[in-house]
Amino acid sequence: MASKAVPTSLFDAATIADRWLADYCGPKPFADVLVTARPDDRAAWRIALEELASVGGEALDDTRERVQRHASDIGTGFRVAGERAERPWPLSPLPLLIGAGEWQGIAAGVVQRAELLEAVIADIYGPGMLVANGHLPAALVTGSPWFLRPMMGLQPPGGFHLHFYAVDLCRGPAGDWRVLADGVRAPVGAGYALENRLSVSRTLGGLQSRLNIERHAPFFAAFREGLAAVCRRAEPRIGLLTPGRWNQSYAEQAHLARYLGFLLVEGADLSVLEDRLYVRTIAGLKRVDALWRRVDPRFLDPLAFDSTSAIGVPGLVDAMAAGNVVLSSSPGSGVVESAALNAFLPQLATRLTGASLLLPNAATWWCGGEAERQEVIENIDRMVIAPAFAEAPLGLPAGRPVVGAALSPDERTALLADLDRRPQDYVGQEVVRLSSMPVVSDGRLTPRPFTVRVFAARDANGAWTVLPGGFARIGEHADERAVVMGDGTWSADVCVHGPEPVDKVSLLPSVDTVNLRRNPGTLPSRVADNLYWLGRYLERGEALLGTIRVLLGHSIGADTGAALAPDTLWRLIGLIVASGAAPPPASIRRQELTQFAKTALEAEEGFSVRMINRQARGIGAVSRDRLAGDLLQLLDAPYPTRGHMLDRAGSLQRRYAALAGLSAEHMSRTDGWRFHDLGRRIERATATAAAVRTLGTLGASADDLSTLLDLANSQISYRQRYLTGMARVPVVDLVTLDPGNPRSLAFQVTTIGEHLARLPTLGDDGLAEPQQALATALQAVISTTRAVEIDDAVMRDVEVRLAALSNAVARRFFLQGAEPLRAAGLTLA
Amino acid sequence: MRYQIRHVTRFDYAEPAGFARCNLRLKPIHWSGQRLEDYHLAVEPGGDTAPARAEAGLANVTRLVVETAARTLTITSSARVTVDRLLPIPDPGDPTLATIAAAARVSRDMGAASPAAYLFPSPRIPLDPAIAAWCAAELAPDRPCLEAAIGLARAIQRDFAFDPTATLVDTPAREAFDRRGGVCQDFAQIMIGGLRAAGLPAAYASGYLRTLPPLGQPRLVGADATHAWVLLWCGDALGWVGVDPTNGIWMAQDHVVMAIGRDYADIAPIDGVILGSGAQAMHVSVDVEPLD
Repeated sequence: MASKAVPTSLFDAATIADRWLADYCGPKPFADVLVTARPDDRAAWRIALEELASVGGEALDDTRERVQRHASDIGTGFRVAGERAERPWPLSPLPLLIGAGEWQGIAAGVVQRAELLEAVIADIYGPGMLVANGHLPAALVTGSPWFLRPMMGLQPPGGFHLHFYAVDLCRGPAGDWRVLADGVRAPVGAGYALENRLSVSRTLGGLQSRLNIERHAPFFAAFREGLAAVCRRAEPRIGLLTPGRWNQSYAEQAHLARYLGFLLVEGADLSVLEDRLYVRTIAGLKRVDALWRRVDPRFLDPLAFDSTSAIGVPGLVDAMAAGNVVLSSSPGSGVVESAALNAFLPQLATRLTGASLLLPNAATWWCGGEAERQEVIENIDRMVIAPAFAEAPLGLPAGRPVVGAALSPDERTALLADLDRRPQDYVGQEVVRLSSMPVVSDGRLTPRPFTVRVFAARDANGAWTVLPGGFARIGEHADERAVVMGDGTWSADVCVHGPEPVDKVSLLPSVDTVNLRRNPGTLPSRVADNLYWLGRYLERGEALLGTIRVLLGHSIGADTGAALAPDTLWRLIGLIVASGAAPPPASIRRQELTQFAKTALEAEEGFSVRMINRQARGIGAVSRDRLAGDLLQLLDAPYPTRGHMLDRAGSLQRRYAALAGLSAEHMSRTDGWRFHDLGRRIERATATAAAVRTLGTLGASADDLSTLLDLANSQISYRQRYLTGMARVPVVDLVTLDPGNPRSLAFQVTTIGEHLARLPTLGDDGLAEPQQALATALQAVISTTRAVEIDDAVMRDVEVRLAALSNAVARRFFLQGAEPLRAAGLTLA
Repeated sequence: MRYQIRHVTRFDYAEPAGFARCNLRLKPIHWSGQRLEDYHLAVEPGGDTAPARAEAGLANVTRLVVETAARTLTITSSARVTVDRLLPIPDPGDPTLATIAAAARVSRDMGAASPAAYLFPSPRIPLDPAIAAWCAAELAPDRPCLEAAIGLARAIQRDFAFDPTATLVDTPAREAFDRRGGVCQDFAQIMIGGLRAAGLPAAYASGYLRTLPPLGQPRLVGADATHAWVLLWCGDALGWVGVDPTNGIWMAQDHVVMAIGRDYADIAPIDGVILGSGAQAMHVSVDVEPLD
């Protein structure tokens, strides 16, 4: 290994790049973008290879790891359907380079296709002339599971069905580009394109300027403006409607929402009243003007489509029909995604746009036509047989395209039989061959077939604009037939390079057009709920870890290192047991205490630290559009499994302290932060009250009091104030009533009151809301109590009041109860 | 035949339900061979009703919005319908199954009654290889369509047991098929699945069936139920023809069509959302009274 991730000098990099180029461009079995590149394109590739070499020299796998690490820092992840864990995004460090001239042709073809698909959708759901005049069979429309009859006759507000469009392209052996598939329903991947670009430019820093690579930002700005332009209100609120955290591309959705400034919402956050759409926020219901939806259209509205949908918004389609909400894309537009439509698009292009397709799609025969069916059956060995629509036909149970020649005799018989019964379910397609591109694999550059996903969006004038680039999906095997590629295993950035430097200034909006905003906008109730509980769980974990550490003998006050008195140990154990972290040990012998601590730390049940951590991680995952990446990474860090229990507890406690520091220092003081901190304060106040009740009431020993100071992190403050040893009243005063001690109960209660005073209220009558009244009453109790009066009953009263306060906060701000029941069912005979 | 139909649905909630938005598809549609003479819909304790937008199937849809909290919600649908429907008579000269399948594939009709709308699997009736294979015995492509339709309906009636305990409203067709038992919806779904697997346009009809009391006994008021059966499109000349696989008979004088869709989900008599936190119970009573 020559050099391990050491920046290589430019001279070395150039030498390495030349060697890679020479090695790579030897004889290849099929067309490759680099091998067949024209001189100016080849020069661009050479620059890219040089940048690659300057990162890690010849250690290509190191470079790949580095770009991978950037991707995971950015938070890119995806989920394979059916899996719960997110996977890291597989990214090859070397981008696909496309020259500006070639790209212009591609972009023009994508725009033409987007306009064509819009025209087809508008006709299907509008005048219906294509079907009535025989240009499109009715069965080609009704066969799509994405055809939604209830949308017929509904004019989309703003005039467009599509605002965003994704298309999968491939480059043929002769450099000709072709369309493989259209995506209009939930065009996944724009976020990945953004993240790929970010990761690659962090790794190959000089690439952007050396190759004049076109930037992504203007495209997303145009999309945002385009969607805003079709809303009725001048400053619209736009939401990204997600199916939730278990969706395959939740990470991408969260990233896009944050990037575009859209509100990440789920169906449960939304409500339709009098044909208007609202989001439930901590400040009441707020109008929503448009939704960029990632929810299966059939589940969007249980009153319009699938009545069993639990993730939809009842009445959403009515609100759309009334013109009050823009749905992008409009439900039912997925009807144009059918493979079968490709058989008709060439003629439809001429008819609807007056021009033939600039980017052809794979030649396609829909077997619903008798002549076409004959054609396909006769040429089955030279064709790909694919489902005509999204659902798997009986003759292709896997639902995937197959190469006719590769069918076993049994498969062929079954397929031919069903082609006879239900020809409408099938298409025949020409076998499309792909170019390859260089990919870092096994420490060297290897040619792999690829496809490219390209994105287009409407700008403020309704005109289509194309993202310069996109992302490439790379096949696992060297087989260049598109049909065997599947979804691709690796991805790569796609860079459009040109001779002219990219104008940086144009990316910034002119100063006059931006209204300054300090309020970052709306906080949905669900998000507030999550942040509040994240605060509570993190604080609970931190407190429990502190208690475990004290129990295991870590005490600043233990001068001689002697163990705590047995009574004190049992009281500590009682605190841990009461929190639900572990059942009580049989004795306080060393071994049993260690086992007890292990259970409290690691048990897979109850409220162990591990379970608390898991809860916090779950909430962190759904709040990723609101939390700093560092915070998420700390939450996701592996659970320590080595070392003494004390070491493990210590390392976890430091992690929790870091989390507390991150939220204190890095979260901006939004309402979201307030809920997070409110959760922490209520949790800490509750824990303190319980600790005082257990260790600080009449008859407490010196060990008890010292332990109480440890739990309240107030040992040093006490020493500085009191030269005497442990005395109950001063200890209790410091931990409970001293407003200057940031760990005291009084401090938490004051902070709670401040938060609640600054959160929005609903009424305009000036009266305190219930949660505010409860906080004020609690503050009154604390400020009028004297330390000598504090006993078990006083602390229990405080705990009850805190619980009531928490409930009042939940009732006022969070989504509560009222689960929708389905009014369905009927007796049948 | 003239019928007075009374269809009462009562929802009981453990806790008062605050808010309901439902689609009611209870008013019988216009359909060949039947005429709706009078119709009345009553909702207790009250709510706003308005015609809803067009829907997935052929149904008269009413949107019901209830905003007052109540422990019960009672929906009473009363219809007077005259049925005058000819009994289909199979003829060797009827179009073959292959002919009607091919005609449906090239249909230029995008309406909700177009055969093209019923050619494909639907959410509750996916294509199933076992059901397809079993039904195929009656569905040779060169068989005249009416003969095949009644043949398949009779085969289902013969080989499947009527068993209200075997299935629920959301039991998949395949499960009922494997049990060889179920109720009208199961038989309709099995037959539709078989017809569609053979490339034929088949629809799900829901409505009412006049039931005759056992000989010498009085008719029991409210003891009837809603019924489901099958429509097969038999070409432009014959149009949609109804067959009832539960009873192995044609749709004729005793059947009143309420709604038609690809499957039950398109035309559930009542569905929607009710916000509440407690349990929900539902009671349905149907009475089909012959007036002459």
